[in-house]
Amino acid sequence: MEDKYIICEDSLEGILTAVYDAYALREGHEHLHVQIGEEENYRLFAEYVYSQPDSVKTDKVIRTLKERLGPEVYAGICRAAASYDKEKGEAIYRTVVDGITAGSGRRTMENLRNPYVRKTFELARRTANEAHHEVEFIRFQELESGILYSKIGPENNVVPFVMPHFADRLAPENFMIHDVNRDLYGVHPAKEDWYLVSGVKEIGKELLIWSDKEFKYQELFTIFHQTIAIQERKNNRLQQQMLPLRFQDFMVEFNQK
Amino acid sequence: MEVRVSPQMSIMDKLKILADAAKYDVSCSSSGVNRGNDGTGIGNAVAAGLCHSFAADGRCISLLKILFTNECIYDCRYCINRKSNDVPRASFTPDEVCELTMEFYRRNYIEGLFLSSGILYSPNYTMELICETVHKLRTVHRFQGYIHLKAIPGADPMLIQKAGYLADRMSVNLEMATAEGLREMAPNKHRKNILKPMRQIQNGITENKNELTLYKHAPHFCEAGQSTQMVVGALPESDYQIMSVAENLYDKFSLKRVYYSAFVNVNEDKELPALTGGPPLLREHRLYQADWLLRFYDFKVDELLTENRPNFNMAIDPKADWAVRHLEVFPVEINRADYKILLRIPGIGVKSAKRIIAARRFGPLTFEDLKKIGVVLKRALYFITCNGRMMYPTKIEEEYIVRNLTYQNQMGRGERLPFMPDGTTYRQTTLFDDGMILGAQSYRSILHGR
Repeated sequence: MEDKYIICEDSLEGILTAVYDAYALREGHEHLHVQIGEEENYRLFAEYVYSQPDSVKTDKVIRTLKERLGPEVYAGICRAAASYDKEKGEAIYRTVVDGITAGSGRRTMENLRNPYVRKTFELARRTANEAHHEVEFIRFQELESGILYSKIGPENNVVPFVMPHFADRLAPENFMIHDVNRDLYGVHPAKEDWYLVSGVKEIGKELLIWSDKEFKYQELFTIFHQTIAIQERKNNRLQQQMLPLRFQDFMVEFNQK
Repeated sequence: MEVRVSPQMSIMDKLKILADAAKYDVSCSSSGVNRGNDGTGIGNAVAAGLCHSFAADGRCISLLKILFTNECIYDCRYCINRKSNDVPRASFTPDEVCELTMEFYRRNYIEGLFLSSGILYSPNYTMELICETVHKLRTVHRFQGYIHLKAIPGADPMLIQKAGYLADRMSVNLEMATAEGLREMAPNKHRKNILKPMRQIQNGITENKNELTLYKHAPHFCEAGQSTQMVVGALPESDYQIMSVAENLYDKFSLKRVYYSAFVNVNEDKELPALTGGPPLLREHRLYQADWLLRFYDFKVDELLTENRPNFNMAIDPKADWAVRHLEVFPVEINRADYKILLRIPGIGVKSAKRIIAARRFGPLTFEDLKKIGVVLKRALYFITCNGRMMYPTKIEEEYIVRNLTYQNQMGRGERLPFMPDGTTYRQTTLFDDGMILGAQSYRSILHGR
């Protein structure tokens, strides 16, 4: 039998809908594949099916995953779906098959002998690590309007994973996190729920003017950052290993000279 | 009494002086407590701890680490702020500390405040200032982030009690591993005075836990526990002495962390070692490795060191060192060994041991699986079998294994050390091996049979 590729959108909803469609075909899983975005190289003897994201199908899959695989495995799948990796669709699909059809259930993410589970696990871990880094390394700037604004350039789509942390921590503040790689904004109005905004290309420069005191605190922190290092132990390699350059680009203490 | 402040000094100048004076304190962790925001102010706490930046020495910046003042009535030899030093002095006001903490925290620069201090007038006076500052931060500014406070030895127990209710973590620095060493280095400090507040905090934490089981909303006392720090390399004490003290502190004082600080001769004191090769970083690293073995790997100090072998092997890490001296335990079968034994294998850490236990439920693991799980095979291969086979034929012989482990080090492919800046490798280090001191050159010639 020839292989069949289900082409889906690059989002959690897109991938889970494709998983639903794969099961709905009832052809067994051996020859089915889930692929994100466009078919890259047309394969001879392969069939391509297009799957449109569908919230009803997605909800059904989510309910099944939570029930059969448990909330932790489901959370892992969400993180993997936020990955930059283009092969995540196939990995997630095969992981779901391992969990539900092969019956690994709540222990699915532990079945690291299965290469697809391992891939999902690794992608999920990578997203989680990056989200953790952003929680640590995000720098807010206070704007004239009093809003705290932050710009980040993450490899994976981590904004949805970092927002809950800051929404709790900075509950009385208006703040905004801008993912420049995806033009995605996490917005938190003071003491209200946060939400995501996408599709806004650029915020007007006139809105991004710093408040009067912003520069003073940036300067103070930069001085603190320099002073706290012990010269006798200077070790730039270690610093860079702990704090990769791609984060440093967005941090005041490395850019204020 | 008036606080001796220097009103003409800007907050920038003060921060420069008082951060510089605080930088030799090692502890910067913000871990140990989970606390959500209660809606009245900003802040929460994350049990895993968060590092918000890394300084040029590679150490993490988690807390705003400052002294309240660097005025001091004591004259400790190793300390930059000692009375007899002619250094610029400054003191913050409580409001300045609050302002810095709140504004840095809002911008996500820091996880909270680490407030220590030189002794201004008296221990009580200083401790009161610290309490006042933090009280203001907690009540006026409603700050709910992490606070780490120093307990000043010799301060009134009531003040320490008060500080414990405001802080998440407290620490009293032991400074030197032995009481004699402390007397020699810090003539105004006494071991007894250091252990007293430490015991008080420990008891406070225990009582508080009991209270909290009875009354859910009782105030928390020092929820993230207490820590301490020892200076390493200023006096000739052995690793065995230092680690035994650490083990005691963990067992008898329930400390969360003991920090080791490679001695830096900031005062160029003639009585203290000159350290031409820089601070003893490799030794400090070995102590931390051993510290981890105590806390997470179920090792005892007596298994690692003895009176006759009082110092760590500089050529291989303490765990590998233990393994090659206990070859009767190995090789271990990965698919059957229990957790505690897995933890003793070099190249397997807490995470990979747990993953092995979980993954082998699904079927026997192979070397390929182990690699994917995160086991460092080039270290582990001498000590394990998978399904009864070793990865490839190897001798189970102390000398052979040590030679291979250290050979990898010399090729720069072995143990990854965090502090070899700019290509410095073992070639430049001196190797200590069971008390026998060899230059790297002669060690290599032995390895290659030349």
